[in-house]
Amino acid sequence: MARGHMASDFNRLVIVGGGTAGWLSACVMAARLPQLEVTLVEAPDIPTIGVGEGSWPTLRDTLATIGIDESEFLRKCDASFKQGSRFDGWVDGSEGDNYHHPYTPPAPGHVAQLLAAWQAVSDPAPFAEALCAQASICDRDLAPRQRTMPPYAGALNYGYHLDAGKLVALLADHAVSNLRVRHIQARVTQLETDADGLLERVVLQDGGHVDGDFFIDCTGMAARLIGEQMGSRWIDRSDVSFNDRALAVQVPVEPGSPVASQTIGTAHEAGWLWDIGLPTRRGIGCVYSSRFMTDDAAARVLTEYVEASVPGADTAGLEPRKLQFATGHREEFWKKNVLAIGLSAGFIEPLEASAIVLIELSLKALAEGYPHSPAALQPLADRFNTLFLYRWARVVDFLKLHYVLSTRDEPYWRAQRDPATIPASLAAQLQLWRDHAPSPADFPQVDEIFSAASHQYILYGMGFPIPAEANRAPEQPAMHRLAEVAERGRALAAALPSNRTYLDALTASAPGRAAQGETA
Amino acid sequence: MSNHQILNTADHAELRVHTGAGAEFGDAAMAALVVPEEFRQAQAHYPIVFRRDAESGAFTGLALFGFENGENLFLDGDTWDARYRPLSIAIQPFLVGQAPDGEGEGQVHVDMAHPRIARNGEGTRVFDEHGKPTPMLETISEQLGQLHGGYQASGSFYDALARYQLLEPFSFEVPLSNGSKHSLVGFHMIDEEKLRALDGDALGSLHAEGHLLPIFMAVASLSNLSELVVRKDAKENRG
Repeated sequence: MARGHMASDFNRLVIVGGGTAGWLSACVMAARLPQLEVTLVEAPDIPTIGVGEGSWPTLRDTLATIGIDESEFLRKCDASFKQGSRFDGWVDGSEGDNYHHPYTPPAPGHVAQLLAAWQAVSDPAPFAEALCAQASICDRDLAPRQRTMPPYAGALNYGYHLDAGKLVALLADHAVSNLRVRHIQARVTQLETDADGLLERVVLQDGGHVDGDFFIDCTGMAARLIGEQMGSRWIDRSDVSFNDRALAVQVPVEPGSPVASQTIGTAHEAGWLWDIGLPTRRGIGCVYSSRFMTDDAAARVLTEYVEASVPGADTAGLEPRKLQFATGHREEFWKKNVLAIGLSAGFIEPLEASAIVLIELSLKALAEGYPHSPAALQPLADRFNTLFLYRWARVVDFLKLHYVLSTRDEPYWRAQRDPATIPASLAAQLQLWRDHAPSPADFPQVDEIFSAASHQYILYGMGFPIPAEANRAPEQPAMHRLAEVAERGRALAAALPSNRTYLDALTASAPGRAAQGETA
Repeated sequence: MSNHQILNTADHAELRVHTGAGAEFGDAAMAALVVPEEFRQAQAHYPIVFRRDAESGAFTGLALFGFENGENLFLDGDTWDARYRPLSIAIQPFLVGQAPDGEGEGQVHVDMAHPRIARNGEGTRVFDEHGKPTPMLETISEQLGQLHGGYQASGSFYDALARYQLLEPFSFEVPLSNGSKHSLVGFHMIDEEKLRALDGDALGSLHAEGHLLPIFMAVASLSNLSELVVRKDAKENRG
């Protein structure tokens, strides 16, 4: 056939910016739509932010789709398994105040019956422990899989904790070596549009230029394409989400020390701390609201946490990196032929690791609705924008849920519960959930970021009242389900290795290592 | 070399064993002991044959996995391609031992030299952190009980077979599609002619003692010989 790939095929995809969003975009689009000619342009001198070190289970699918081996990923990204989150001190800040939000959903069955059965047990275990075997596995620092299982499969649902900088390096190498992505390192000095307002060209500092049919803006908070050029408005959500600063440190850990199975989020008087365990270090950060806490006070909170929770840490040598952020998102994520993915699209605190999953969902939507002609742009953009405005609203509501159920008494926490700061959609759902437990009917979209199960873990983990529909006598099938959870927990606790054992064995079995050992 | 120890929470608190399948765990065996109690389960997958111990003259039932030493045609990498594994395999590296005074119930022993003993923190725990048996050990204990009981009871089964002369030696040519031949010798099977010729009294007494079912299960199991040849053929053709 003589028909070549002409410009009218709309196949020239240009990605501007090379952080996690940029390289994930390049890999996913090149792998899913092989007819595309993908070019990634990044300035050689712009540091990436790289805070998002926790992923959702979706990253397994994404990595498998783009063709990266799981063991290679774990080794090269200094990664560990993330089986969910544990929230310490969020209910009232008292001793022993904590609850789990595991990635594996609660036992199958009608939730009202399960809640009734749970309540019928005398001295019941906390909700997550009673309804999901994963909580007790997390308490023991165990891995969600055995090394002999097929890649990306687990006995329990899991995502990862990872070194974001190393992930970017792995993705970039894979994109260029295996997925035919063109990589240009140059500053973009100018953007040129055509008569219809479509972006057609990025001009580079060295005088060169890259022409494209479709552009993805991965320039981070600068939002050079979607914001500066296309003029998509920023919708501020700091009225709901107060936190606007973070102090981040990385603390080396002793060889052989336990690696936690979940992100630990610990509440403090004006925000919370994240604690993410990798095989070689822990990433710890203090998130706070500058309205309620000074930078110095936040630094003290951070230091005290490190002293208390990392044995042998040298707190005098800590030099926290300070991050400032605005919470919000674009009014239009997709405008003309430009789509914003990553921080250019929006930002909210990393309380439930929503950053990478929003990138993945954006790419899924783009791959499934990629334009092949200019005529398709407007309807596809409308569809995308409707979906992602809904998703951002759900993320904002879900994170707010963690605060409104607290009974902590500090001014920051009281302000979080001020009805004026609670979105009407969340207030309405909280009313509904006094009657009914969160159910899939409350979350009707395909690929909801936070499922009914996630909402159940937060609500009943934080002591929200059992809904009216669950005021009933417990039934045998539901009692059996709870007994099965306990039995499965016992079996898994016996069969799963510790995270440390798994990850050390993986490192020891690295191909490069074995070869070195043989020649030494 | 084996190293049998009495299983106990003090010495074996952290013990883990590999529960998967694999040649490295000792699964590359041509046959394994089966007791008459499990003939029904075993005959769904394996030919059941009998071997006479040269010294004692006693018979043992065997589930056949291959046609030569070290050949397990059900083993494919880390998969055992059958839904049932004989008890004598499933309980490894554990075994029933007798108390030092030789009295009372059998004890659970463990062979610490067995390749199923895990030394790298992987594998399945035997006791939990409180020293309670894990579900795996609960299952193993049950299986050890079945195996032990089945073994104790097998004496009367083989006595009955001898009484009616129901075992005959057999040899089996293994015809492969590439023209090569293997033969299986040194085993016994149920003599079907003698079985058919038994009168009602003999059948009634075999039935009353519970031996009739395993006898017929052993007969039925031989249809798996052709299935085993297919596996052998496929393996030869893979190279």
